[in-house]
Amino acid sequence: MNSEAIVVFSFRVCLSAYLAGFASSIVFVRRERVANFFGFSCAGIGGLAGCAASLCALAYGATPTLAVWPFKMPLFTFTIHLDALACFFILVISLLTIAISIYSQGYVTQYYGIKNVSVLAAFFNLLVFCNTLVFCADNAAFFLITWEMMALVAYLLVSFEHEESRTRQAGFLFFAMSHIGTGCLILGFLLLFRATGNFDFLAFHFIGASLSPMERNAAFLLFLIGFGVKAGIIPLHIWLPEAHPVAPSNVSALMSGVLIKSGVYGLVRVLWDFMGTPPVWWGITILLVGSVSALLGVLYALVEHNLKRLLAFHSIENIGIILMGLGASLMFSSFHHPVLAALALMAGLYHTINHACFKALLFLGAGAVLRATKTKSMEELGGLIKKMPWTAFFFLLGSVAISGLPPLNGFVSEWLTYQALLQGFSTTERLVRLIFPIAGALLALTGALAAACFVKAVGISFLAMPRSPEAESAEEAPSSMLLGMLVLALACVMLGLFPSTFLPLLDPICQGLLGQAISARVIGGNGWMLTALGLEQGSISTLGMVSLFLALLPLPWVSWLLFSRKAPHSIGETWDCGLDRLTPQMEYTATAYSKPLRMIFRALYRPRRQVEADFEVSRYFTKSIRFETHIEPTFEKLIYEPLHRAILRVSQRLRWIQAGSLNTYLLYIFITLLLLLLWEKIR
Amino acid sequence: MFYDDIELGTRLITLMAAAMLVVQFLMVGQRLLPTAIRLFSLQSLFLACLAGTVAYVNQARHVYIAAALTLLLKVIVMPLFLNRILERATEKAEVESHLNTPASILICGGLTLVGYMVAHPFIKPHERGHSTLAVATALFLMGFFLMMNRRKAISQVLGLLTAENGLFLAAISLTYGMPLIVELGIFFDVLIAVMIFGILVYRISEIFDSMDTNKFRRLRG
Repeated sequence: MNSEAIVVFSFRVCLSAYLAGFASSIVFVRRERVANFFGFSCAGIGGLAGCAASLCALAYGATPTLAVWPFKMPLFTFTIHLDALACFFILVISLLTIAISIYSQGYVTQYYGIKNVSVLAAFFNLLVFCNTLVFCADNAAFFLITWEMMALVAYLLVSFEHEESRTRQAGFLFFAMSHIGTGCLILGFLLLFRATGNFDFLAFHFIGASLSPMERNAAFLLFLIGFGVKAGIIPLHIWLPEAHPVAPSNVSALMSGVLIKSGVYGLVRVLWDFMGTPPVWWGITILLVGSVSALLGVLYALVEHNLKRLLAFHSIENIGIILMGLGASLMFSSFHHPVLAALALMAGLYHTINHACFKALLFLGAGAVLRATKTKSMEELGGLIKKMPWTAFFFLLGSVAISGLPPLNGFVSEWLTYQALLQGFSTTERLVRLIFPIAGALLALTGALAAACFVKAVGISFLAMPRSPEAESAEEAPSSMLLGMLVLALACVMLGLFPSTFLPLLDPICQGLLGQAISARVIGGNGWMLTALGLEQGSISTLGMVSLFLALLPLPWVSWLLFSRKAPHSIGETWDCGLDRLTPQMEYTATAYSKPLRMIFRALYRPRRQVEADFEVSRYFTKSIRFETHIEPTFEKLIYEPLHRAILRVSQRLRWIQAGSLNTYLLYIFITLLLLLLWEKIR
Repeated sequence: MFYDDIELGTRLITLMAAAMLVVQFLMVGQRLLPTAIRLFSLQSLFLACLAGTVAYVNQARHVYIAAALTLLLKVIVMPLFLNRILERATEKAEVESHLNTPASILICGGLTLVGYMVAHPFIKPHERGHSTLAVATALFLMGFFLMMNRRKAISQVLGLLTAENGLFLAAISLTYGMPLIVELGIFFDVLIAVMIFGILVYRISEIFDSMDTNKFRRLRG
């Protein structure tokens, strides 16, 4: 069996397993436990097969094409093309599906008897199925169909707990935003269609050169908006912090890990595969959008005290980081530096898979916390490290990874992005080169703020004393959930320690899109080191760091043994300022932690605070204090609310058209038809 | 011989198309609902015969199936179904329209002209297709007009069905039969549409005590 046959076979297994998972969950719709087992097991098997298919395709360079729909229709062909780019994203989704489906076995038990788990399992399978098809559809019409199905199923999953009005609103917002995006995509593809007369992606390949500059730029903007909505770039991000927290945590993990990445996929597909050499301003736009998303995303995350909302804002931040890599790559392409372009693209794509791993891990951790304590507010958590040590460990690991600390995977890809940005300064003499160091500085600021944010997230939620009875009585998650998290934690560690094994998998993509396979120039020191295209440009070795750390670890212990074992010491309680004991009220809160940053970035947040206090006898004896603080949602206020009002005003004006009479509506159609017929005649 | 006389077949087809057009005009002028249903049945009968002729002349076997289906569904089943709905509804069985009969007939004459005008570039005298395309377009437009002009839901359904007859006529006269799967699809579609309409009409007459779709205005928020 040659590699292509293996890829096709395992990919068929993958898709069939998802469908089988969907079908079995529907069949056992009244028997939740059975549906849970079958549904999520099938998803796991599908994920394994998908991993096998995509890894095999990437490693051996097999790019098979297969038809999924035997009937021929004019313009539409339902074919799948597993090229390197598609396989990379399928690898991401399959990896996450394995972990999340193991996790879900335990996670969904909390819904037994309350919500129908079978429905959840069925739609989960369907979402993975559609999303996998999105990555490998080879025809614009097929792509749009799967894209819409994905949005629809995701909407159903987001509003799974639809009893709460907040959930319904979030679901609707997601749905509406998603449709705005799809509208732009349809227009964009129609623009491309005008030039080719064919919807096949193959025909779109490097179509950019044959479009007029106007059409090219219009297509770029349409695709940027269309895919940007799904990716959650600022200012199109507003659905993201609403939809992610209200969805069940396994779904949020999948959405944050993969669904928003389909926007990244779309951008790479369209801008690199279809458009060819871009004008400079495209790259600048994407780099700017990325920088702004990264910085604002993390800033909003800092003042957020809902654990899942916080993670959602970090998704915006990381999408920003990915886009910084992509934007830099586009700019290098327009400056004719294909090697650097490949480096930046590689950085962006590597951050894509890394972010998928650690963000899914964090959402799964947050889900475990939520399941144990029934609260998302960090101010009511605390002390969980003693109750749920494994969850705390995995969450901490994910936090280290997302903060870009060595030696985990977030560090590697952010380092690659830095290197690409820093080298960008010397690629051109034009003034725009200033944008590279500025973006690098913003990336550094983002990384530092992310670390600060996760000190808060981990510190407030897991350390110190429980702040509520729910946190007090929390219990460790069941082993299936821990196993799911373990898979992702391992992925984070492996991707961080052995980038020299995984980066060559990205070579076929860079080769195909930019004609440069550069992993050999990035990996140095017999696979121990990463270098930015040469030793003099800076190099790093995560494996070396870990080895050094492990080698030095005994040192303090030995020195303690040698020098201070005999020194007098005593063990006592934590100092409590002379009170008789510490209580949860004395703990540092998340609000307090983020206070300095709220003050520094006051111009952005425009915080409002309100203090109400009741006194007894005099001001010095407070009975109770009520403290409230709000952050102004700038984008909603500046962009969406005026837009909303304008639309409502126009609709009020146009209301008379909607007379409510069937005959009038028929008349509209009839007149349109007649005019069209006669117009065709006269023309 | 009779059966291989293409010229005769062509004339027969044109004749039946003309008959359908005449029936359509009768329907526009008709004021009683049961008669309108019978007229629709008659028009469908002509259509079925036309399809049979087309099948015979062109040796197109699958068009026979289409003809048989037309005969079964449009000539027999749907009229029966519509009659039953009519019996159940409490309304008097009279058509109410927005425009009076002479005006309607005049407009429909105009629509026939539009049909001929639109179809003209497609018709080449020496080719098959004749003027049936023009008739088909006119039928479609008039069916649409019927839907618009009538107040009652059931006569709107009749309008839709005649418009569909026009479409079927166009398909069969231009291509001498579409692929069977498409035709079956269309039949199924129309059947379902009529079923749903039937249920809707019943519900409408129950809730509003009338079949006048103008009362839908009350649904507006």
